[in-house]
Amino acid sequence: MRPFEYIAPSSAEEAVALLVENGETARLLAGGTDLVVDLKHNAGNTNLLIDVSGIPQFRGIEETSKGVRLGSMTTFSEIMASSLFQEKMPAVIDGAHTVGAVQTRNLGTIGGNFVTCVPSADSAPSIMVLDATVIVTGLAGSREMPVADFFVGPRKTALKPGELLESIFIPKASLGKPSAFLKHGLRKGQALALVNGAAALWLDKDGKILEPRLALGAVAPVPLRAVKTEAFLAGKSVTDDVINEAAELAVSESRPIDDFRASANYRRQIIKVFTQRVLKESIRIARES
Amino acid sequence: MLVELTVNGEWKSADCPPETTLLKFLREHLMLTGAKLGCDVGDCGTCTVIVDGESYNSCLMLAARAAGRDVTTIEGLADSQGVHPIQEAFEELGSLQCGFCGPGMIMSAKNLLDKNPTASRHEIKDALSGNLCRCTGYTKIIEAIEGAGRVMSSDKYPQSNTF
Repeated sequence: MRPFEYIAPSSAEEAVALLVENGETARLLAGGTDLVVDLKHNAGNTNLLIDVSGIPQFRGIEETSKGVRLGSMTTFSEIMASSLFQEKMPAVIDGAHTVGAVQTRNLGTIGGNFVTCVPSADSAPSIMVLDATVIVTGLAGSREMPVADFFVGPRKTALKPGELLESIFIPKASLGKPSAFLKHGLRKGQALALVNGAAALWLDKDGKILEPRLALGAVAPVPLRAVKTEAFLAGKSVTDDVINEAAELAVSESRPIDDFRASANYRRQIIKVFTQRVLKESIRIARES
Repeated sequence: MLVELTVNGEWKSADCPPETTLLKFLREHLMLTGAKLGCDVGDCGTCTVIVDGESYNSCLMLAARAAGRDVTTIEGLADSQGVHPIQEAFEELGSLQCGFCGPGMIMSAKNLLDKNPTASRHEIKDALSGNLCRCTGYTKIIEAIEGAGRVMSSDKYPQSNTF
């Protein structure tokens, strides 16, 4: 591995200062499951690793009167062990469970996964359908944006130079919202998603769909909120025709690519089937709750 | 940089460059070659060690991250009383062929059974999804872990024996 310096600052301010001072030669170390591999093969001009994984401001899961604050340096294993997520956001646990394997989930963080920003990120869809936002912090202070706006392109986020991802915020209105996550990979264990997706919705007393959300991964340059499909579903009664039409719309909103894992055409078929399944599963959960 | 940590119950320290992974630190600075270098990207799991009661790919963890913490490697499992029940079960069933995946398989199994000695077959497979074996087809590995779980969950197994 290319030689570098290592420093573990104890506060966000210190981390930001180091990042600003060292510019592009510094990289932020979260869990390291992506970055350390990258440094072994393609070190670029990295001379300094700023280990932010232990900074208290970036850690932990906290419920407030407004919602849930999820520190960016929370590991996938910590999310899976959280009773708050188990009870009120089980689809997020299902997403976290499909990331890597035990050893990588013990290291890897949700913030690291977001900042790596690959289209297939398994942590993204189930968080996006909960209308979550991210809070980023830098020299100019903090700013907040929807998760979908944070993902700009493959391996490209909305972070400006000198900014860090501090936390993810899930609003109170989304806690307990019926939701489901599905992933299709070539294997059950340690596979990148060919397609992944999550849905969340409420059913009103007449069985009409309220506030539907659908997010799909590995179907576009970034994890995608299928907003046209959501708009179509809002206020509809649940019928097979409605579900099928929603699935067709989700396919039309996606922009899958051909690669060595699957063809774009195959992915379109999977998007259709998975949209149907993930909507049906959310509806089943909504009816039971 | 000086890295000080507990390895298999003993306080150790060594000087290493900051870019040293925990795996390299164990193998080349402490001469503990039980954990193996396989894929070096966190896929194969043969470098698995336990740090403060959780399993990690030591090829992805910087040694600096393990400073001050409690590391258990495959070398820490056997004691003067004999081998660990997981090692015993692997031996009895002939669960390994070339053996290269063994240290990681056994550490992942220990990480699971320490928390959940009555783990189901499904839970065992899930817990081992980060450990690849190219020889065995996994069947005897899974059977050995089930057997070791029965030993570790029995009344006779010393509960204080956490190695």
